[in-house]
Amino acid sequence: MDPARTPLGQMLLEEITPVVMVLSTPSVEETCLKNGFSFLQMLTPFCSFNNIDVPVRTASDQPYRIHKFKLRLFYGSNVRKPDLKVAEEQLMQVITESGEKVFSELCSDAPKINQEHASSEDRNTPSWFQFFNKELVRMASFSDHEAFDHPVACLLAVSSKDEHPVSRFIDLFNTNKLPSLLKDGAMDPKILKHYLLVHDNQDGSTDRASKILTEMRNTFGASDCVLLSINSSPDAPIKHQDNPWASQICDASPDQDLGCFLNIDDINEIKDLMQDLSSKHIIPNMEQKIRVLNQQVSATRKGFKNQIKNLWWRKGKEDGVDSLNGPMYNFNSIESQIRVLGDYAFMLRDYELALSNYRLISTDYKIDKAWKRYAGVQEMMGLTYFMLDQSRKEAEYCMENAFNTYLKLGFVGQQNATRCGLWWIEMLKARDLFKEAATVYFRICGEDILHSAVMLEQASYCYLLSKPSMSRKYGFHLVLSGEQYKKCDQIKHAIRTYRSALSVFRGTTWSYINDHVHFHIGQWYASLGMYDVAVKHMTEILACSHQSKTTQELFLGDFLQVVEKTGHTFEVTKLQLPVINISSLKVIFEDHRTFGSPSAVNTKEGLWHSLEEDMIPSFTAAKTNWLELQSKLISKKNTQSNVCVAGEAVKVNIEFINPLQITIPVSGVTLVCKYSTSTDELTSNANELSVKTDNEVDHFRDTSSHNSSFLVSEVDFSLGGGETTMVQLSVTPKEVGTLEILGVRWKLSGAIVGFHNFELSHPKKNIVKGRRKAKQSPNEKFKFMVIKSIPKIQGTIQSLPGKAYAGDLRQLMLELRNPSEFPVKNLKMKISHPRFLIVGNQENVKLEFPGCLTKKSDSVQSGAHANPNMMSETVFSFPADTSVQGETPLSWPLWFRAAVPGDISLYMSIYYEIEDISSVIRYRTLRLHYNVQVLPSLDVSFQISPSRLRIQDFLVRLDIVNKTSSESFQVYQLSSIGHHWEISLLQPPEAIFPSQTLMAGQAISCFFTLKNSRRLSTLEHNISTLPLGSDVLLVPQCSEDLVYNTNNVPLVNFHYFERLQQKVLHEDLGDLNTVDLVLISRPLNSSISPGLSDPPHVMSHHTCHLSTASTGPISWLVDGPQTLHHDFSASFCEINLKMHLYNSSDATAFVRIDTTDFDGSGGHMNSVNAIQSATPDNQAGWHDVTPVTEIKVTPNALEAQPGKVVLLESVSPYIWSGSSSTNIHLEPMSSAEIPLQICVFSPGTYDLSNYVLSWKLPSQVLGDSDETKQHSGKCQGYKYYLTVLQST
Amino acid sequence: MATTACFIIVSRNDIPIYEAEVGVAAKREDAAQLHQFILHAALDVVQDLAWTTSAMYLKSVDRFNELVVSVYVTAGHTRLMLLHDSRNDDGIKSFFQEVHELYIKTLLNPLYLPGSRITSSHFDTKVRALARKYL
Repeated sequence: MDPARTPLGQMLLEEITPVVMVLSTPSVEETCLKNGFSFLQMLTPFCSFNNIDVPVRTASDQPYRIHKFKLRLFYGSNVRKPDLKVAEEQLMQVITESGEKVFSELCSDAPKINQEHASSEDRNTPSWFQFFNKELVRMASFSDHEAFDHPVACLLAVSSKDEHPVSRFIDLFNTNKLPSLLKDGAMDPKILKHYLLVHDNQDGSTDRASKILTEMRNTFGASDCVLLSINSSPDAPIKHQDNPWASQICDASPDQDLGCFLNIDDINEIKDLMQDLSSKHIIPNMEQKIRVLNQQVSATRKGFKNQIKNLWWRKGKEDGVDSLNGPMYNFNSIESQIRVLGDYAFMLRDYELALSNYRLISTDYKIDKAWKRYAGVQEMMGLTYFMLDQSRKEAEYCMENAFNTYLKLGFVGQQNATRCGLWWIEMLKARDLFKEAATVYFRICGEDILHSAVMLEQASYCYLLSKPSMSRKYGFHLVLSGEQYKKCDQIKHAIRTYRSALSVFRGTTWSYINDHVHFHIGQWYASLGMYDVAVKHMTEILACSHQSKTTQELFLGDFLQVVEKTGHTFEVTKLQLPVINISSLKVIFEDHRTFGSPSAVNTKEGLWHSLEEDMIPSFTAAKTNWLELQSKLISKKNTQSNVCVAGEAVKVNIEFINPLQITIPVSGVTLVCKYSTSTDELTSNANELSVKTDNEVDHFRDTSSHNSSFLVSEVDFSLGGGETTMVQLSVTPKEVGTLEILGVRWKLSGAIVGFHNFELSHPKKNIVKGRRKAKQSPNEKFKFMVIKSIPKIQGTIQSLPGKAYAGDLRQLMLELRNPSEFPVKNLKMKISHPRFLIVGNQENVKLEFPGCLTKKSDSVQSGAHANPNMMSETVFSFPADTSVQGETPLSWPLWFRAAVPGDISLYMSIYYEIEDISSVIRYRTLRLHYNVQVLPSLDVSFQISPSRLRIQDFLVRLDIVNKTSSESFQVYQLSSIGHHWEISLLQPPEAIFPSQTLMAGQAISCFFTLKNSRRLSTLEHNISTLPLGSDVLLVPQCSEDLVYNTNNVPLVNFHYFERLQQKVLHEDLGDLNTVDLVLISRPLNSSISPGLSDPPHVMSHHTCHLSTASTGPISWLVDGPQTLHHDFSASFCEINLKMHLYNSSDATAFVRIDTTDFDGSGGHMNSVNAIQSATPDNQAGWHDVTPVTEIKVTPNALEAQPGKVVLLESVSPYIWSGSSSTNIHLEPMSSAEIPLQICVFSPGTYDLSNYVLSWKLPSQVLGDSDETKQHSGKCQGYKYYLTVLQST
Repeated sequence: MATTACFIIVSRNDIPIYEAEVGVAAKREDAAQLHQFILHAALDVVQDLAWTTSAMYLKSVDRFNELVVSVYVTAGHTRLMLLHDSRNDDGIKSFFQEVHELYIKTLLNPLYLPGSRITSSHFDTKVRALARKYL
């Protein structure tokens, strides 16, 4: 690329051109002012020559031609350093104006980044950027350290009107008025002078003018004097087609035609004049000067000798002046001359010559430490390199060197540094090194804020233009620039840059950046009074959880302030504060399901379903019979939308989260709903949907004007830092129709209204309902068909304790109310845990509790017979005539018993039908849910072992541990439930409970005998209908009346469910040898802790299926003497024993008793025992009961048996002397006696346990299902010690 | 220890997944966003530079006034960026290597979704300890 065609090249060709100093008299100016411009302005358009052909011969002999040339004209008074302040002010004005202009053009939203790319070429150089740069360059002009701004010629203009024109000419070039450059010797004052006589043709003929001209020629020489006559156009102003001055003087008033008195001839004359001046005078003059200077330089500096001399001379001078600028150089010093030579050569485009001279002088300046001059020369070297298009590296190096040197100078070099930087940047740009250019822009930024703002902005565009484009750098520098703009009050520019930057940062997750940009844009818009836009930006940063608390406060505070200033409540669709947790959204509505409490709502639908299964008419039935009416009423589409009842609230649970650390007040949280009267509207649903998007916002707005067809609740709350609040909102439809919940709206800090649309933003949600209504389109979930009001029963359980001790028995009251006037019928109820809660009888209401439980109250007894029916049915139907209506509630007693410790959820569902047949909903269910915490109280365990003394007698050990931490209980009564058990105390109760109470943590054991009384009542067959029991009072001095009747409601019912529950644990159900025991205790009133609001009265502990028959159905007892005296000297001793057998099963058993003698080897016995012990099912029998700890039948105890046998081997053996094997058939429930006999040969103690009892039950008797029940078995004999003593 | 240091981990999608001010200097109110700006802009440089070398540690890639940006690019193109004003090149390199190890450990956590924000407080303490040790 030709360097001259690059922007920099063109700029250099325009800016570094010979300067002509213009000196004119006031009358010349007056003449020109008729045309609306000054003398200089008149000439300026004709100073650039694009089409000339001037041969130039500089130092070399080879001439070359210049086709383009330009002169710069300056008034003599302007040939000086520009006034910084004026220039600055001018720049400021330019920027402000452009700011206004661009800002007004700024489209409403920031351009997208790709558009930015397309238009970046022109954006990169907005006109005011160029102007700005040019001005900055000009600010450094007319410095004494560089020669290209030094005037090469002087144009002296005197009007023909002036008196004594010749002397005027001399006056004009008076040294007093000359610019300082010429005066103080920085440049040669002997410059080319050109004398111009300006004649106004309107003033008269040119006679006088020509006379003066001749006079001038005589004085100044013929070639240097010219006459210029202007204003030839007589009177009529001329309109020029393309006014050459138009571009020059922009501030001219439009009504004045520039150059109106100049006709074509005048213009041509000016043109000729200027061309003449340049080609015939200035260029030759410069040529000549170059040649002269070149000769001088060659003479003094070129050649080896001169170089040595120069070096020597410089060295000597070194310790001389050491000012910042180095020594002053006079115009006739050789250094100045070399510089002038270089600059002249540059201006005449002899770059080779210029470069060689610049190089020459640069080392000199460096040695002289004339840094400013050095930098200036370096700068020019760089430019020369560039124009030569030779060494790019050199060029850049020179520019950088110059730039750094200027910067080192500090304030003095500031303007020059800026200029140098700008040239350098242009150089880099010409080579597509935009990134480097950007860094230079960044370095230019000096102390002047405005300059750096513009420079930073230009830098940012450079980053965008670099390849690959660096958009993030672009954004960053825009922000930096915007900040600087802000500092110098160019807010519009600041906004513009930030908005451009926003296109880069939009959508990034770099939170601090986003916040910074949005916040400042918002703030600045607010300062301009554009609050609406400000609010828009400010809303973006509200949810700034990552910021510090103070920043959050600042953001929110500013935001609210801005909102306040807008003067009206602002409405924003995407307000981020507070955050709505949309996944927490839950819609609660009541169609045929109604809920008694919020906790009931949260229970899984499946649980209710399984509970209500039996009560609710099934859907298969619905299609065929009475529900057909219903299916007709609800069209197919309607069934898909939810149904709600007029007058009953639809509730929406939603979570609000405050992400900030500061408290935010939220008020007026309401649901936004849409209501339409017609139910047919659903058919036109599709159309409506499309329209809906347009009307969406309107719906949100509309809510302020209250719709009479529904009521919405309003919630106010304040969210602390980081808090989450679940809010329940409700809408109550009042009329039949269709109701749709669109979203939620709230007011933040009373100033700004936020909306959240449920559907459009989040199509996938409502997880809670999704399972049930999976087919629905998301929109349907928020759509309700409102049907006319139907009755709704409200129910509560009175005085249900939240906490209870295990076993606690209470009477509760279920209260049902029906506030509507329509009656309901066919009430049914089901309870999830009948073990805890059972339905009582209507009569029970009147009874006094707990007295009704005792035996003395007869009335209860009558109800006992109804129990079995009630227990078998899981659904409780209220009597047919039960109707709930009006004020009086229906009360129904319930019995509560805390069965096991733990947290228990009780579910109840009450079903009722609506008598109004026309209703869409025929039945409803009321769902109640209660939580009860059951604390452990008494831990009751029983151990039953057969008695050794009597067959069918059992010893019962009761262990009670008080598990509570503070309560004391009175163990009141133990009852056995069942038809054939009698229980009695072994000791008087005083002996067991000396203090009558069981303190906290206390454990106690007591013993009872249990007697199977079936033998006594064998005739009674119908045993199940009349369960009898026997009770033992554990409290002394108590009348029989106060014994609690365990066969009564509700104890018997609870017992039934306990049995069912505990059945699972016991396999051998149906075995008649089990016993159920109920322990009734009472808390001591004095010891009730205040924690329980309602102290318990009666507590019952049920233990069921305690097995008495541990050995199988056959029990036996060996009966004989314990101690015997015999004279062994006479004979051996024969002892007769009796074995009592009892068959407790309901089938005939085949029993065989095998006696085995000791055969001398204990090993045999061992093996038998080992086999037996390997089958633990058949194990048991009598064994030591006395050590209480061993009572539990553990395998360990059994394993110990063989050992004992071995031990006894040492004792002299005995032999069974009767039959070795006896077989008998034992009838059910009957006993038999078998005689046994042994022979003993020596005194001692004998263990008569080595016999085996085998029993077998006929298999056909057993139930098929009862496989686990054993029907044959083998038992080792139990220990029976017989002591035989030698009789004396 | 550096007076100013801002450490940030940028995922391959240019999303910051971990940020920590680890300098000892008192935190200025505008520092956080300035640091973010500088680091964010430095991504442009890293983008070019990362493919010119096989080393993971790119040394200092960018500077803003007296603040220098050093970058370490992992194989998965996650960038560990440190904005600092100290000249402790070896320390920074070791710091990056150790944090890289920590980051890999985090990645191995099956509950951590790569590219999501690192919220582990353990990671945070470790990084700060490393910063104290090396910077």
